[in-house]
Amino acid sequence: MRLSRSQVDRLGERLRGGNISDDDLRLLDAYRQSFAEPYAEVLAVLRDELGLAPTGRLAKSTKSIVEKLERETARLSQMQDIAGCRVITADVEEQDRTIQAIHARFGDVTVVDRRARPSSGYRAVHMIVAIEPHRVEIQVRTALQQLWAELSETLADRFGIAVKYGGGDDVVRELLGATSESVAEIEAIDAALADPDLSPAALARYPKLAARVTGLRAERQLHIDQARALFTRAIANFSAPDP
Amino acid sequence: MFYLIEYHRERGRLVRFDVFPTERRPDAEAARLDLELSLNAAGVSHEVVILEAADEDALRRTHRRYFDDARTIALAGRAAV
Repeated sequence: MRLSRSQVDRLGERLRGGNISDDDLRLLDAYRQSFAEPYAEVLAVLRDELGLAPTGRLAKSTKSIVEKLERETARLSQMQDIAGCRVITADVEEQDRTIQAIHARFGDVTVVDRRARPSSGYRAVHMIVAIEPHRVEIQVRTALQQLWAELSETLADRFGIAVKYGGGDDVVRELLGATSESVAEIEAIDAALADPDLSPAALARYPKLAARVTGLRAERQLHIDQARALFTRAIANFSAPDP
Repeated sequence: MFYLIEYHRERGRLVRFDVFPTERRPDAEAARLDLELSLNAAGVSHEVVILEAADEDALRRTHRRYFDDARTIALAGRAAV
Protein backbone atom coordinates (compact mmCIF):
# COMPACT_ATOMS: atom_id res chain seq x y z
CA MET A 1 0.00 0.00 0.00
CA ARG A 2 1.46 3.35 -1.03
CA LEU A 3 0.34 6.35 1.02
CA SER A 4 0.13 9.89 -0.31
CA ARG A 5 1.93 12.66 1.57
CA SER A 6 -1.39 14.06 2.80
CA GLN A 7 -2.47 10.62 4.04
CA VAL A 8 0.84 10.32 5.92
CA ASP A 9 0.45 13.77 7.49
CA ARG A 10 -3.15 13.15 8.50
CA LEU A 11 -1.95 9.92 10.13
CA GLY A 12 0.73 11.94 11.92
CA GLU A 13 -1.89 14.33 13.28
CA ARG A 14 -3.92 11.45 14.65
CA LEU A 15 -0.81 9.90 16.22
CA ARG A 16 0.06 13.25 17.79
CA GLY A 17 -3.25 13.08 19.59
CA GLY A 18 -2.07 9.94 21.34
CA ASN A 19 -5.23 7.89 20.89
CA ILE A 20 -3.99 5.35 18.36
CA SER A 21 -6.42 3.02 16.61
CA ASP A 22 -5.54 -0.37 15.16
CA ASP A 23 -6.17 1.02 11.67
CA ASP A 24 -3.64 3.79 12.34
CA LEU A 25 -1.07 1.24 13.52
CA ARG A 26 -1.61 -0.67 10.27
CA LEU A 27 -1.24 2.51 8.23
CA LEU A 28 1.93 3.46 10.09
CA ASP A 29 3.24 -0.03 9.51
CA ALA A 30 2.60 0.33 5.76
CA TYR A 31 4.34 3.70 5.74
CA ARG A 32 7.37 2.34 7.59
CA GLN A 33 7.55 -0.64 5.24
CA SER A 34 7.88 1.78 2.32
CA PHE A 35 11.35 2.65 3.68
CA ALA A 36 12.57 -0.94 3.40
CA GLU A 37 14.20 -0.59 -0.03
CA PRO A 38 16.08 2.69 0.54
CA TYR A 39 17.09 1.43 3.98
CA ALA A 40 18.47 -1.80 2.50
CA GLU A 41 20.29 0.15 -0.21
CA VAL A 42 22.03 2.41 2.31
CA LEU A 43 22.96 -0.49 4.55
CA ALA A 44 24.36 -2.50 1.64
CA VAL A 45 26.53 0.42 0.50
CA LEU A 46 27.90 1.01 4.01
CA ARG A 47 28.60 -2.67 4.55
CA ASP A 48 29.63 -3.95 1.13
CA GLU A 49 31.19 -0.91 -0.55
CA LEU A 50 32.59 1.11 2.34
CA GLY A 51 33.54 -1.83 4.58
CA LEU A 52 31.68 -0.45 7.60
CA ALA A 53 29.79 -2.43 10.22
CA PRO A 54 26.46 -0.61 10.61
CA THR A 55 23.65 -1.65 12.89
CA GLY A 56 20.35 -0.87 11.26
CA ARG A 57 17.01 0.26 12.56
CA LEU A 58 14.51 -0.79 9.98
CA ALA A 59 12.01 1.74 11.27
CA LYS A 60 11.55 4.08 14.20
CA SER A 61 9.28 2.71 16.91
CA THR A 62 5.70 3.93 17.18
CA LYS A 63 6.45 5.24 20.66
CA SER A 64 9.42 7.29 19.44
CA ILE A 65 7.46 8.61 16.43
CA VAL A 66 4.58 9.73 18.65
CA GLU A 67 6.97 11.38 21.13
CA LYS A 68 8.75 13.24 18.33
CA LEU A 69 5.45 14.41 16.83
CA GLU A 70 4.36 15.69 20.24
CA ARG A 71 7.72 17.35 20.91
CA GLU A 72 8.15 19.05 17.54
CA THR A 73 5.99 20.78 15.00
CA ALA A 74 7.27 18.77 12.02
CA ARG A 75 4.82 16.63 10.06
CA LEU A 76 5.20 12.86 9.87
CA SER A 77 6.17 13.04 6.18
CA GLN A 78 9.03 15.39 7.13
CA MET A 79 10.53 13.05 9.74
CA GLN A 80 13.98 12.16 8.46
CA ASP A 81 14.88 9.33 10.79
CA ILE A 82 12.07 6.84 10.20
CA ALA A 83 14.68 4.40 8.89
CA GLY A 84 18.30 4.62 9.85
CA CYS A 85 21.46 3.01 10.99
CA ARG A 86 24.40 3.60 13.27
CA VAL A 87 28.13 3.36 12.67
CA ILE A 88 30.59 3.45 15.56
CA THR A 89 34.17 4.58 15.01
CA ALA A 90 37.21 4.32 17.27
CA ASP A 91 37.87 8.07 17.39
CA VAL A 92 37.21 11.44 15.77
CA GLU A 93 39.79 10.88 13.01
CA GLU A 94 38.06 7.71 11.90
CA GLN A 95 34.70 9.43 12.29
CA ASP A 96 35.82 12.20 9.90
CA ARG A 97 37.11 9.67 7.37
CA THR A 98 33.83 7.75 7.59
CA ILE A 99 31.79 10.90 7.04
CA GLN A 100 33.87 11.84 4.01
CA ALA A 101 33.50 8.36 2.52
CA ILE A 102 29.72 8.36 3.00
CA HIS A 103 29.46 11.84 1.54
CA ALA A 104 31.56 10.91 -1.49
CA ARG A 105 29.51 7.80 -2.15
CA PHE A 106 25.99 9.20 -1.80
CA GLY A 107 26.48 12.82 -2.83
CA ASP A 108 23.02 14.03 -1.89
CA VAL A 109 23.58 14.08 1.86
CA THR A 110 22.60 16.55 4.57
CA VAL A 111 25.15 16.56 7.39
CA VAL A 112 24.15 17.58 10.91
CA ASP A 113 27.33 17.87 12.96
CA ARG A 114 26.47 17.94 16.65
CA ARG A 115 30.06 17.66 17.84
CA ALA A 116 30.92 21.35 17.89
CA ARG A 117 27.36 22.37 18.81
CA PRO A 118 25.92 19.58 20.96
CA SER A 119 22.20 19.18 21.50
CA SER A 120 21.77 19.06 25.31
CA GLY A 121 25.12 17.27 25.52
CA TYR A 122 24.43 14.91 22.61
CA ARG A 123 27.40 14.78 20.26
CA ALA A 124 27.42 12.81 17.02
CA VAL A 125 27.20 13.35 13.30
CA HIS A 126 23.93 12.56 11.57
CA MET A 127 23.91 12.17 7.81
CA ILE A 128 20.61 12.22 5.99
CA VAL A 129 20.79 10.39 2.68
CA ALA A 130 18.13 11.21 0.10
CA ILE A 131 16.81 8.26 -1.85
CA GLU A 132 13.69 9.81 -3.31
CA PRO A 133 11.08 10.07 -2.07
CA HIS A 134 12.57 8.87 1.22
CA ARG A 135 15.36 9.84 3.60
CA VAL A 136 17.57 7.44 5.54
CA GLU A 137 19.56 8.63 8.54
CA ILE A 138 23.08 7.45 9.26
CA GLN A 139 24.35 8.18 12.77
CA VAL A 140 28.14 8.26 12.95
CA ARG A 141 29.43 8.23 16.53
CA THR A 142 32.79 7.63 18.13
CA ALA A 143 32.94 4.96 20.82
CA LEU A 144 32.93 7.65 23.53
CA GLN A 145 30.06 9.60 21.95
CA GLN A 146 28.18 6.30 21.71
CA LEU A 147 28.68 5.45 25.41
CA TRP A 148 27.56 8.93 26.43
CA ALA A 149 24.47 8.69 24.19
CA GLU A 150 23.58 5.27 25.61
CA LEU A 151 23.91 6.60 29.15
CA SER A 152 21.72 9.55 28.24
CA GLU A 153 19.07 7.30 26.65
CA THR A 154 19.02 4.97 29.63
CA LEU A 155 18.69 7.82 32.10
CA ALA A 156 15.97 9.38 29.92
CA ASP A 157 14.07 6.09 30.06
CA ARG A 158 14.28 6.14 33.82
CA PHE A 159 13.96 9.82 34.70
CA GLY A 160 11.93 11.06 31.76
CA ILE A 161 12.75 12.03 28.20
CA ALA A 162 13.06 15.73 29.18
CA VAL A 163 16.66 15.13 30.34
CA LYS A 164 17.56 14.67 26.67
CA TYR A 165 16.16 18.06 25.77
CA GLY A 166 17.50 20.39 28.44
CA GLY A 167 14.90 19.71 31.14
CA GLY A 168 14.06 17.07 33.72
CA ASP A 169 15.99 16.09 36.84
CA ASP A 170 18.73 18.67 37.65
CA VAL A 171 21.29 16.13 38.91
CA VAL A 172 20.90 13.91 35.85
CA ARG A 173 21.02 16.81 33.41
CA GLU A 174 24.08 18.41 35.02
CA LEU A 175 25.95 15.11 35.23
CA LEU A 176 25.25 14.33 31.59
CA GLY A 177 26.23 17.85 30.54
CA ALA A 178 29.53 17.80 32.42
CA THR A 179 30.40 14.31 31.14
CA SER A 180 29.67 15.37 27.57
CA GLU A 181 31.98 18.39 27.94
CA SER A 182 34.81 16.23 29.31
CA VAL A 183 34.45 13.74 26.48
CA ALA A 184 34.44 16.60 23.97
CA GLU A 185 37.66 18.00 25.45
CA ILE A 186 39.37 14.59 25.34
CA GLU A 187 38.34 14.07 21.72
CA ALA A 188 39.44 17.58 20.70
CA ILE A 189 42.87 17.05 22.24
CA ASP A 190 43.18 13.60 20.64
CA ALA A 191 42.38 15.16 17.27
CA ALA A 192 45.01 17.88 17.85
CA LEU A 193 47.62 15.32 18.90
CA ALA A 194 46.91 13.27 15.75
CA ASP A 195 48.22 16.13 13.60
CA PRO A 196 50.90 14.61 11.31
CA ASP A 197 53.00 17.76 11.86
CA LEU A 198 53.58 16.54 15.41
CA SER A 199 55.85 13.68 14.38
CA PRO A 200 58.58 12.52 16.79
CA ALA A 201 61.16 14.04 14.43
CA ALA A 202 59.41 17.43 14.48
CA LEU A 203 59.09 17.35 18.28
CA ALA A 204 62.81 16.58 18.60
CA ARG A 205 63.65 19.48 16.31
CA TYR A 206 61.31 22.14 17.70
CA PRO A 207 61.32 22.44 21.52
CA LYS A 208 58.34 24.83 21.55
CA LEU A 209 56.27 22.27 19.65
CA ALA A 210 57.36 19.55 22.08
CA ALA A 211 56.37 21.75 25.02
CA ARG A 212 52.97 22.35 23.46
CA VAL A 213 52.42 18.59 23.05
CA THR A 214 53.46 17.98 26.65
CA GLY A 215 50.94 20.60 27.72
CA LEU A 216 48.19 19.03 25.64
CA ARG A 217 48.90 15.60 27.10
CA ALA A 218 48.73 16.99 30.62
CA GLU A 219 45.47 18.74 29.82
CA ARG A 220 44.11 15.53 28.29
CA GLN A 221 44.89 13.63 31.49
CA LEU A 222 43.00 16.23 33.52
CA HIS A 223 39.92 15.76 31.36
CA ILE A 224 40.24 11.99 31.56
CA ASP A 225 40.39 12.19 35.37
CA GLN A 226 37.36 14.47 35.34
CA ALA A 227 35.39 12.16 33.02
CA ARG A 228 36.26 9.14 35.17
CA ALA A 229 35.07 10.96 38.27
CA LEU A 230 31.80 11.86 36.54
CA PHE A 231 31.20 8.30 35.36
CA THR A 232 31.98 7.15 38.91
CA ARG A 233 29.29 9.52 40.20
CA ALA A 234 26.87 8.05 37.67
CA ILE A 235 27.77 4.53 38.83
CA ALA A 236 27.09 5.51 42.44
CA ASN A 237 23.89 7.45 41.72
CA PHE A 238 22.15 5.26 39.22
CA SER A 239 21.95 1.68 40.35
CA ALA A 240 19.21 -0.47 38.85
CA PRO A 241 15.63 0.76 39.38
CA ASP A 242 13.20 -1.19 41.52
CA PRO A 243 11.71 -4.19 39.72
CA MET B 1 19.95 -10.86 11.39
CA PHE B 2 16.84 -8.95 12.41
CA TYR B 3 15.98 -8.56 16.07
CA LEU B 4 12.46 -7.73 17.23
CA ILE B 5 12.68 -5.97 20.57
CA GLU B 6 9.95 -5.12 23.05
CA TYR B 7 11.30 -2.84 25.75
CA HIS B 8 9.77 -1.46 28.95
CA ARG B 9 11.50 1.92 29.21
CA GLU B 10 10.49 2.93 32.72
CA ARG B 11 11.73 -0.37 34.17
CA GLY B 12 14.68 -0.64 31.79
CA ARG B 13 13.63 -4.18 30.95
CA LEU B 14 13.79 -6.18 27.77
CA VAL B 15 10.39 -7.88 27.55
CA ARG B 16 10.74 -9.73 24.26
CA PHE B 17 13.66 -10.51 22.02
CA ASP B 18 13.04 -12.50 18.83
CA VAL B 19 15.61 -13.26 16.16
CA PHE B 20 14.85 -13.50 12.43
CA PRO B 21 17.33 -14.44 9.70
CA THR B 22 17.96 -11.63 7.21
CA GLU B 23 15.82 -13.23 4.50
CA ARG B 24 12.80 -13.25 6.85
CA ARG B 25 12.44 -9.48 7.14
CA PRO B 26 8.71 -9.61 6.19
CA ASP B 27 8.11 -12.07 9.03
CA ALA B 28 9.85 -9.72 11.46
CA GLU B 29 7.69 -6.82 10.26
CA ALA B 30 4.53 -8.91 10.55
CA ALA B 31 5.53 -9.94 14.08
CA ARG B 32 6.12 -6.28 14.96
CA LEU B 33 2.66 -5.28 13.77
CA ASP B 34 1.01 -8.19 15.63
CA LEU B 35 2.87 -7.22 18.80
CA GLU B 36 1.98 -3.52 18.48
CA LEU B 37 -1.69 -4.38 17.91
CA SER B 38 -1.79 -6.67 20.93
CA LEU B 39 -0.04 -4.11 23.15
CA ASN B 40 -2.36 -1.38 21.92
CA ALA B 41 -5.40 -3.54 22.71
CA ALA B 42 -4.02 -4.12 26.20
CA GLY B 43 -3.25 -0.42 26.70
CA VAL B 44 0.45 -1.17 27.19
CA SER B 45 2.94 1.45 25.99
CA HIS B 46 6.17 -0.44 25.36
CA GLU B 47 8.79 0.40 22.78
CA VAL B 48 8.74 -2.05 19.88
CA VAL B 49 11.53 -1.89 17.33
CA ILE B 50 13.28 -4.02 14.73
CA LEU B 51 17.05 -3.74 14.59
CA GLU B 52 19.47 -5.33 12.15
CA ALA B 53 23.01 -6.36 13.00
CA ALA B 54 25.60 -8.88 11.88
CA ASP B 55 25.12 -10.72 15.18
CA GLU B 56 23.92 -10.19 18.73
CA ASP B 57 27.31 -8.97 19.95
CA ALA B 58 27.27 -6.17 17.36
CA LEU B 59 23.73 -5.29 18.38
CA ARG B 60 24.72 -5.12 22.05
CA ARG B 61 27.61 -2.80 21.21
CA THR B 62 25.47 -0.27 19.35
CA HIS B 63 22.25 -0.55 21.36
CA ARG B 64 23.38 -1.18 24.94
CA ARG B 65 20.37 0.67 26.27
CA TYR B 66 18.13 -2.35 25.64
CA PHE B 67 20.46 -4.71 27.47
CA ASP B 68 22.38 -2.81 30.15
CA ASP B 69 21.37 -0.53 33.00
CA ALA B 70 22.80 2.95 33.60
CA ARG B 71 25.35 1.64 36.09
CA THR B 72 26.77 -0.88 33.61
CA ILE B 73 26.96 1.73 30.85
CA ALA B 74 28.65 4.21 33.18
CA LEU B 75 31.17 1.50 34.14
CA ALA B 76 31.91 0.99 30.44
CA GLY B 77 32.25 4.75 30.00
CA ARG B 78 34.72 5.01 32.86
CA ALA B 79 36.78 2.15 31.42
CA ALA B 80 36.75 3.70 27.93
CA VAL B 81 38.08 7.17 28.74
